[in-house]
Amino acid sequence: MPIFRWGQPWDPFRDLEREVDRLLQGVNLTLHGVRFSRRFPQVNLLELDDSFVLTAEIPGIDVGQLDVTMASGFLTIKGTRLPPDEAREDTFRRQERFHGPWQRKIQLPDRINEDGMRADYRAGVLRVTLPKAPSSAARQIKVNEGP
Amino acid sequence: MAESQDLNQPDNSSSMIPASEDGANGPRLLFNPPIDIYETPDGLVLYADLPGVDSEGLDLQVQNNRLTLFGRVTSDVAESAQMLHQEYHFGDFLRSFILSDEVDHDRIQAKLTNGVLRVELPRAPRANPRRIEVSGG
Repeated sequence: MPIFRWGQPWDPFRDLEREVDRLLQGVNLTLHGVRFSRRFPQVNLLELDDSFVLTAEIPGIDVGQLDVTMASGFLTIKGTRLPPDEAREDTFRRQERFHGPWQRKIQLPDRINEDGMRADYRAGVLRVTLPKAPSSAARQIKVNEGP
Repeated sequence: MAESQDLNQPDNSSSMIPASEDGANGPRLLFNPPIDIYETPDGLVLYADLPGVDSEGLDLQVQNNRLTLFGRVTSDVAESAQMLHQEYHFGDFLRSFILSDEVDHDRIQAKLTNGVLRVELPRAPRANPRRIEVSGG
């Protein structure tokens, strides 16, 4: 059961459309959806003893085009993923990958030591390490009794 | 964790995968990577998103007219880490294609940059028509 079909009736490489369908493909679709139809990029947030780690799958980005900011407890990552220069819209036979501007804004569950933040980009995965701020001592709030 | 967008969208897949899934011996998930294919004057160009795959984890094969790409994802997340919010899972990438004879198999080239694979599938030079001499009887 092919999932994707070619649009053009004329295709010199017509046999390429007979993509091998794997048994797992159907499982992928029901469990995880078609990837390109989902939010881009996909993020995971992890908690370690002394830090939070956000990872995002953003393949094919120039590091210079990655914008990572932290403000008021929100981590914002944004950028643009461009289609290849030489590809014109009418030459695409299949287009499943995300192209265009994207932005994700994630609220962090705790206070962050903003001086210790760092971000790394490797093999298309962004990893932002956010050290937790040292927790302040609990403060007792006095309850005044009404009249 | 709150998300400024898609706040109400349920994340219905995260509970289905045991946390030890990424272990060396346990079963690994396989994903179908999204691809682009476009035509150039020289043939076709294929792009595939393989986040988390480096050149050592990539296996690209052409055999019996079938192009198969497999990307193994390496994860360096500490085992003690607790997942607070999960939108994607760790797993490898696999997808294969049947190539027509018009693709010049010997000149296929591939390059992996920042988790994106680019494969050039050049068109085979068109064979000149061959005249077949018919010998008179």
